[in-house]
Order: sequence, then structure tokens, then C-alpha cells
Amino acid sequence: MPRLGLRARISTTVAVGALVLSASVALLSYQFIRSSLVDERRNVVWRTAYYDASYVEARIGGPETDYVQVLSSFNPGRGRTPVLVVSGTPYRLDVAGVDIPRNLAEMVEGGQAARQVVHTEQGPAMIIGIPLSTGTQYYEIVSLRELDNNLRQIGLVLTLVAGGVTLAGAALGWYTGRRALRPLASVAEAAQGIAAGDLSARLDPQAEPDLQRLAASFNNMVDQLQQRIERDRRFAADVSHELRSPLQTLAAAAAVLERRQDSLDARTADAARLVVEEVNRFQQLVTDLLEITRAESELDLSEVDVLALARDQCKRRDIDPAVVTVVGGEGDGTWRADARRVEQILGNLIENAQRHGGGVVAVRLYQEGAHNVIEVDDDGPGVLPEDRELIFRPFVRGSTAERRGDTDGAGLGLAIVARLAESHGGGAMVLDRPGGGARFRVELGRQSP
Amino acid sequence: MSGVLVIEDDDRIRRSLMMALEDEGYKVRGTATAEEGLAAHRAEPAEAVLVDLMLPGIDGFECVRQLRRDGDATIVVVSARDDTHDIVAALEAGADDYLVKPVAIKELSARMRAVRRRNRGGQSNPGTIVVGDLEIRADAGEVRLRGEPVALTRTEFLLLCELGAHAGQVLSRQQLLQRVWGYEFGDERLVDVHVGRLRQKIEDDTSSPRRLVTVRGLGYKLQR
Repeated sequence: MPRLGLRARISTTVAVGALVLSASVALLSYQFIRSSLVDERRNVVWRTAYYDASYVEARIGGPETDYVQVLSSFNPGRGRTPVLVVSGTPYRLDVAGVDIPRNLAEMVEGGQAARQVVHTEQGPAMIIGIPLSTGTQYYEIVSLRELDNNLRQIGLVLTLVAGGVTLAGAALGWYTGRRALRPLASVAEAAQGIAAGDLSARLDPQAEPDLQRLAASFNNMVDQLQQRIERDRRFAADVSHELRSPLQTLAAAAAVLERRQDSLDARTADAARLVVEEVNRFQQLVTDLLEITRAESELDLSEVDVLALARDQCKRRDIDPAVVTVVGGEGDGTWRADARRVEQILGNLIENAQRHGGGVVAVRLYQEGAHNVIEVDDDGPGVLPEDRELIFRPFVRGSTAERRGDTDGAGLGLAIVARLAESHGGGAMVLDRPGGGARFRVELGRQSP
Repeated sequence: MSGVLVIEDDDRIRRSLMMALEDEGYKVRGTATAEEGLAAHRAEPAEAVLVDLMLPGIDGFECVRQLRRDGDATIVVVSARDDTHDIVAALEAGADDYLVKPVAIKELSARMRAVRRRNRGGQSNPGTIVVGDLEIRADAGEVRLRGEPVALTRTEFLLLCELGAHAGQVLSRQQLLQRVWGYEFGDERLVDVHVGRLRQKIEDDTSSPRRLVTVRGLGYKLQR
């Protein structure tokens, strides 16, 4: 059985409490009302019966008495039936009434007044028996139907009230639960923000005294997380930075070697060429690593002419800038964005298409919902479905690159694209281009000015 | 004015840069501190100066500032720092260009060639352009605002000439990079910073420029 939620449990507990309380109150009230009503009714019935009995007794002296006449000479009222028993013979007004129970008759014949409650077809009734003189007994059968109806109605009302109180309890519990859990919602919100990369999210420890400890430890956790991330970032930046100076020497020295390789003997020239190639690759790697660490820094937003940037990136690589188009009526290819990141993304995507995708077929810029979208289509073999996530990880090259034994590039280009896109409130993915080839799609979150 | 001056405190970097630039055909001098560099430049002005930012004693920013005050040699900062903040600060101090280490010698050389072309006055500018109360005398290398001469660096002057020659027309940042700096491609921030400095000299209120205006998404325009 699935465990109930906190709110459901609070609600159930309050509802059960309300039920127990309201049911006991209802039950006690019912008992009290019932006994007082019954007592009062009994007293009235007794008094009336004695009065009627003395009336009847005063009129049955003679031997020629018409008992039925005596009984009909007084009006006992609705719901009361007088019965006179003389020497074992019952006289009564109704033809087929309630019989006097045996044990009651015996008691009354023994000279003792008594009563008994019986259940008749018309509901409960009370029979009062009063001995008059030897051999003569007066009985009065009083219907208790009205009382019974009243009690039943009271019972119904009390049950309804108890039910209502229980439901109200459940509702109160649900509401209280929501109120009580509301501070936790802010915790969840903050945690979500942090997961999305907003490390400035903190909880206000003053906001909810009962959650002070939670807020304090939560904030402490985020502080440490932030410090750790900052330390890692700085380390990566420092390492890359420290690599720049020796690399500058290597790059310059390699250029000298390259220029003079004709004057070197064949073997030295070979070695020099290897050094030059490796220095170039190393240089690219460090530049790429720095680009990745830059993705962690804040966005530097401005109005960026992305169309011009994309065309420029094409021109640099001897691609006809006419492949770049702005799709849809919205906007003119000018987005509010971080120019460097957008430039880097465009450059890396175009480079990737050229290097691994058989050339750029189209570059499309458009706006879709909350995103600005860059799409670069290539003419290559496409990307296998199992590689589609892998290729955006650092140091992973597509299977096509491996097949070609391509050693150019460190395999960071697409990883940089993914990281920069994420830092720009979006992401990168690769799809199939209709008609063959791959379609790289980068979404950038639209920024408000 | 001749040759290239390399001001770089890292011995190996300086030596390798000097070697590579000499191979490219430049006459190169090198110093390890800004003080020595400034003295060398005063003794014999260089055509172009490469300056590192992190120098002992006078730092690179101050060195650029003093070089700019001394004359209009082309100043290129070559630094390991790549924060936008540093780049903008160096350009605002007066640098014409900013390159981040490691710089490929081919690229450095291309920039130096562009500098040389520019300094030899490869551009053909019309004699005098008058735009409102602004007078640009390209042949005399002079700019007057309401009759008063305005002191501009070479880059600022060339930028204003280019904008003035096409007054009323929008020039994109890439176009300006190509025509003023002679770069096939480059960092557009170069243009933005130089436009900002130019505005300080020719605008009455730089926060709402009236002469040199930005056309959103397109580039810059000198109002006719």
C-alpha cells in the first residue's frame, strides 16, 4: 500500500479526532435527551392513568354496571386506550387492541401497580396496570410512537451533526496541512533554483521559526556548494591561465621552426613539424578549456546582430554566407544575448559541420517560444541515435571522426556548445536532417532587457 | 619611426616573440620592464609596441597610457588575461588592439601587416569633410569641432575619417574593423571601445550621442 502523504495524514488525524469527539458528544446528548424525555413522559402517563383509574373506580360500584359505557364516558385522549378487567374478563373500546401481557396481568392481579413497554404494530406503547378492587384491574395502553419519532429525529440530527463535524475536521486538517507545509514549498523552490544553477538562492531563517534549523543547514549546504564550485572553477581557470605563458613561448618558437624547416636536415624537419602540430593542438585545447570555464561566468548581455555574426563565421571558413537565413517574420536576427557565447557557439557548430559533417548546408536563426534557436545542417552521415547525447560530452569524438582517424581538435567543440547553451538558459541537441545529414539545434533562453 | 618594440617581462616569451617577428621581417627590440620600454620608445619611436599587462613596476595599463600620451604608435596588448573587463580597460587606456595569449604568430603577423599598411597611409581619404560643426581634414590629419582642434589618436582619427566619408550611412562593426584596422576578422569590442573614446572627444553628452549614433543591430553612423 502506498504511504499516505504528509498532508493526507494530517487531514486523516484531524478528521478521526473530530469524529471521536463529535460522536461522543452526540451520543451523550442523545442519552441525556432520551432519558429526560422518557422520564417526563412516564410521569405524565402515570399521573393520568391514576386519575383515569380513580374516575373509573368511582363508577363501577353496582352489579349492573355497563363497563363499556363507563369507559366511553370519559375521553382519555389520543393514543390512550383504557382497558377494564373485571373477574378476568377484559372490557375495552377497541375491538382488536393490544393484549395485556401475561406477567403484567399477574402482577396487577396480585394487587400491585405496574407498567410494561411493548412493541406493537403501531410502534412502541406503554401499558400501565392499576389494581382497583379485588378482581378488578384498570389498564391504560399509551402509544409511545410520538416520543419514539421525536427521539429518532433527534438521533438523526445528531448523527448528521457528527458527520458534518468530521468532514469539517478533515477539511480543516487539509487546510492546516497546506499551511504547515507552505514553508517547505519555499525550500523546494530554492532547491530547484540551485539545481538550475542559481547559487544565490537562500532561505530566510526568520521567515518560519519552526523551520529555523532546516533553513540554517540548507543555507550552509548551499554556501559550501557554492564555495566548492567557485574553487573548482578558479582552479580550472588558474591552470589554463598558467598554461598560456609557456604556450606563448612554444607557439612563437614553433613558428620559427616552421619557417625554417627547409634549412633543417630531413630528420630534424620531421621532428620540428611534429612539434609544431602538437603545439597547435595544445593551443587549441587550452583555448577550448578556457572557453568551458568561461561558461560558468555571468552572461554579458547586449543586442547582438546574430545574422552578421553567423555570416562572418562562414566567411572566415570560406563558406558562402548566403547559407545563413533568418526564418519567420519575428525579428531581424538581432537577439539580446551574450555576443561572445553566441559567436563561439556558431563558430564551433560551423567548424563541426565542416570537419565531421561534410560541409554546412544551412544555418537558420529563428525565435520559438521562450527561445532563440540556431540550427546548423550538414551533409554528413548524420549522428547515430546512441551517440546523440555522447557527442556533447568533453573529449568524445563522433564515430565518424574516429573512422577517419581525424586527430584534429581535442573533441571539445560540441561540449563547449552544450555548456555555453546551458549557461544561456537553453541547451544543445542533434537531430536528423530531412534528406540526410545531421541537424544541430541550439536553443538560447530569450533574455529580457 | 621604425620596427616593433616588445615589452614583456617573461624572458622566454620575449625572446621567442622577437625571433618569430624577426623571421616575419620586422626590426624588433625588446625590454623586460615598462620603464625601459618607455625610455627605448622615446629614444627611437617604434612603429608598433606589443605590451604585456602584468609587468613589474609600472604595469601594462599605465605603460599603454604613457605610450599613448607620447605619440600615436600602434599599441597592441598581448596578455594572458581575457576578462572583458581587462580588455576594455586596456583599450580605454589607449591600446589599439588586444590579443590574448597564446597568440598564433600568423595572426600577430597579419595584424602587424595591417598596422604597417595603415601607417603608410594606404587609405585614400577625400581632402576635407564637414559634418555640421565638425570638420575633418583628412589630408592634414586634423579634426576641428566648432573651429577648435580636437586631439585624436591615429585609430580614432581613421575611425572618424571612415565614418565621415560615409556620413549619413550605417557602417557595421565588421566593416569598420576591415576598413579602419585592416583586419579581415576581429573582436567587435575593439570598435565599441574606440567609438566610446571618440564620443568623449566629439560629443557634448556621451550618454545621448547626437553626432556619432548607434544603429541597433546594424552598426554606427555619423549624422549628417
